[in-house]
Amino acid sequence: MTTDTGHVTHEGPAPARGLRRVTAPGFLRAAWMAPLFFGIGLGLVVFFRRLAGWDPVFDWTIIVAVGALTTAPFGFLGGIGVFDYWLRYVSGAPTRPEDHSSHGARRWQDYFRVNTDHKVIGVQYLVTTFAFFIIGGLLAMFFRAELARPGLQYMDSQTYNGLVSAHAVLMIFLFIIPAFAGLANFVVPLMLGAPDMAFPRLNALSFWLLPIAGIMFISSFLAPGGAFAAGWTGYPSLASGAPLGQTIFNLGVQWAGASSILTALNFLVTIITMRAPGMTFWRMPLLVWANFTTSLLVVIATPFIAGSQFFVLFDRVLHTNFFNPSEGGYVLGYQHIFWFYSHPAVYIMMLPGFGIVSEVIAVFSRKPIFGYRLMALSLMGILVLGFSVWAHHMFVAGMAPWLRVPMMVSTLLIAVPTGIKIFSWLATMWEGRLHFNTPMLFALGFISMFVLGGLSGIYLGSVPIDIHASDTYFIVAHIHYVLFGGSVLTIFAGIYYWFPKMTGRMYNERLGKVHFWLTFVSFNLTFFPMHWLGLRGMPRRVSDYADRFGDLNLVITISSFALGASTVVFFYNIITSWARGPIAVSNPWRSMTLEWQVSSPPPIFNFDEIPQVVGGPYEYGVPGARHAVMSGGAAGALQETHP
Amino acid sequence: MNAHVEAAEHHHGPPVANQSSRVSATVLGMFLFIASEAMLFGSFFAAYFFVRVVNPSAEPWPPEPFHLPVFVAGVNTAILLTSSFSMHWALQSIKRGNRAGMKAGLVLTFAMGLAFLLTQMIEYAHVGFNTGDHAFASVFFGLTGLHGAHVFVGLTLLGMATVRAFRGHFTPEHHHGVELPGIYWHFVDIMWIVVYATIYLL
Repeated sequence: MTTDTGHVTHEGPAPARGLRRVTAPGFLRAAWMAPLFFGIGLGLVVFFRRLAGWDPVFDWTIIVAVGALTTAPFGFLGGIGVFDYWLRYVSGAPTRPEDHSSHGARRWQDYFRVNTDHKVIGVQYLVTTFAFFIIGGLLAMFFRAELARPGLQYMDSQTYNGLVSAHAVLMIFLFIIPAFAGLANFVVPLMLGAPDMAFPRLNALSFWLLPIAGIMFISSFLAPGGAFAAGWTGYPSLASGAPLGQTIFNLGVQWAGASSILTALNFLVTIITMRAPGMTFWRMPLLVWANFTTSLLVVIATPFIAGSQFFVLFDRVLHTNFFNPSEGGYVLGYQHIFWFYSHPAVYIMMLPGFGIVSEVIAVFSRKPIFGYRLMALSLMGILVLGFSVWAHHMFVAGMAPWLRVPMMVSTLLIAVPTGIKIFSWLATMWEGRLHFNTPMLFALGFISMFVLGGLSGIYLGSVPIDIHASDTYFIVAHIHYVLFGGSVLTIFAGIYYWFPKMTGRMYNERLGKVHFWLTFVSFNLTFFPMHWLGLRGMPRRVSDYADRFGDLNLVITISSFALGASTVVFFYNIITSWARGPIAVSNPWRSMTLEWQVSSPPPIFNFDEIPQVVGGPYEYGVPGARHAVMSGGAAGALQETHP
Repeated sequence: MNAHVEAAEHHHGPPVANQSSRVSATVLGMFLFIASEAMLFGSFFAAYFFVRVVNPSAEPWPPEPFHLPVFVAGVNTAILLTSSFSMHWALQSIKRGNRAGMKAGLVLTFAMGLAFLLTQMIEYAHVGFNTGDHAFASVFFGLTGLHGAHVFVGLTLLGMATVRAFRGHFTPEHHHGVELPGIYWHFVDIMWIVVYATIYLL
């Protein structure tokens, strides 16, 4: 893929030769800097333990935590060159802010190095997260194979627990959250009329933190004692005494969390300070609004999961007693701190999807979005309410009983802003000219499945039913209806919708529809029976189960394999279309938002001249309406065709 | 590639983005980062109060036989508070074009921050309990250690600013490299007042 601006062909930095290759930024330098920094970490641990007179001096639990999981990744990051510019800057050495040699991609190899172009970073994010999506999905199929029949067939319970935990962690921290960040990375600066993100080098750093976390989580399978197996929630006291894999979880979450926080900070600053002239907050596309609120959630909430994992880590390696009741610790404190992040996290995993669906529904209904301001405000409403509901995950945990009812009320209140969004989407489609392209199908699939997930959420938010259904497959059904039926379907909608813009080529519409229907049907066959299993009392997170659940579990396992197979269609479509699909025009969907007013793929700095925004982003079918005036007068502004 | 294209490439940067807010991007970024950091402190305070207040076995506080060197930590607090003033002086100096004042202010701030950190390490060595002793020790080392880590980060930022100041960087117009570490340093300082009040006085 080339990014030719039309004026100048940008060549990358000249490849280093000979010995210079060892010291030039790249994987070769990372290959020796990571071990070097591991050695530094090891040296620090040994030095301080000897200084303090602690025995043994070589404590491998601490050396792994400090050397392998903290300092070595810094060595890797330094090696690939993430810090080069900053190190020159802070040491007072001359820097070249106008140096854009690490900006943009001319060859496919440019996607495998530190790149400051938000479009390249967006693609890097998406390819990486889909790689982890495949791994996470395969893990799920392993343990579904185990669950096909009662009894233990292929693995022991510890391995099973490790598979379940790693599946959840990869899907949450390495797929859903960063896949949205990747889509937004590509689209948000374009939608704002900005040449890049506010901090391009920070953006590159945020991306490269992510594979570190993912590789840690996967490598935990190789640790003595197996992968972390205390669930993705990692509750102590179970987590406090678990084998080494749990330490890897504790620190892997920190790397993924840091990535998310830095990206969110970058989005917020970009959205606040880099909007095109005329782009007021009330003229921003809803995807930008969605990422604005999501980023606020990330910046405010994510430090809490960092804290919770630090405490467990300290309990494990420094023998503190944060969660050890016999030494004055308060074990429920973990759950409060953890869920104070992890409940807002479900909105971090959903709000960007709301934004994608708003774009898709308006464009494919050829109508202005219904209740634009209320759509934006309801996002803010969800943000505020989202911080007041965390203890509904703890109704049966033994917390103070008086907390139950307030948490139930605030939980049910979230149905109000969410309902506003659902009804606004329906009203947008009402009497619209619907086009059932693949993105639209996924958006419609999302709405129907998310409503189902929301309904089971109302059940689970109510204290009496939650007490009955806690820790059963009803929970598993609910979470997959909101995270797969919700988030993942919107990610697919977004991928198909922006695929022509990202790659400059069209995907295969027929295969896209096949993918949708296979996914939609097998998804329901997989997860709908789980409601029934849960209400009949099948516990979750258990490798074996009573014989009477056998038949339905077999159905679920077969369907889950069909669900896995459906993604093969997706990957085949994406890969072949990316390689040799038909060339896409700049605006195949006749959309009004700014990213479609530039070429596909966009020029290296997005806009030759910053566009002037003159109206709302969704004025489809409104005669004479304009969202923006591009350089060169009327060129680029959408001419709405009338029936 | 011929020389003409090369020259064109050299000058071809991104178009200047529209500045849609009066706040500068770097200052806003620093404030958002600080918001995130404040929430990290929030989680540590949550752990502290869970152990101290919610836990039924936490009477009296601090539990026997622990006691804290309130006076030494108070002196340390005074040192850190003073360093905020010298930081402010450094920033005001460069704004007025007084390079000597900026350098002196930065060096003073750095020295006082370092003194604070060393005092805290000595306090750790003589405090009479270790991380594994009781949840009281966990939350004490947790909060003060987290703050110490932030002092360390602040000192690193100050060190960078100092190096650049002595190498002739910064002008009355361009002094983000002093302003941003300064903002962070004030945050570290304010956070210490809260930590000190909570742990040593409350």
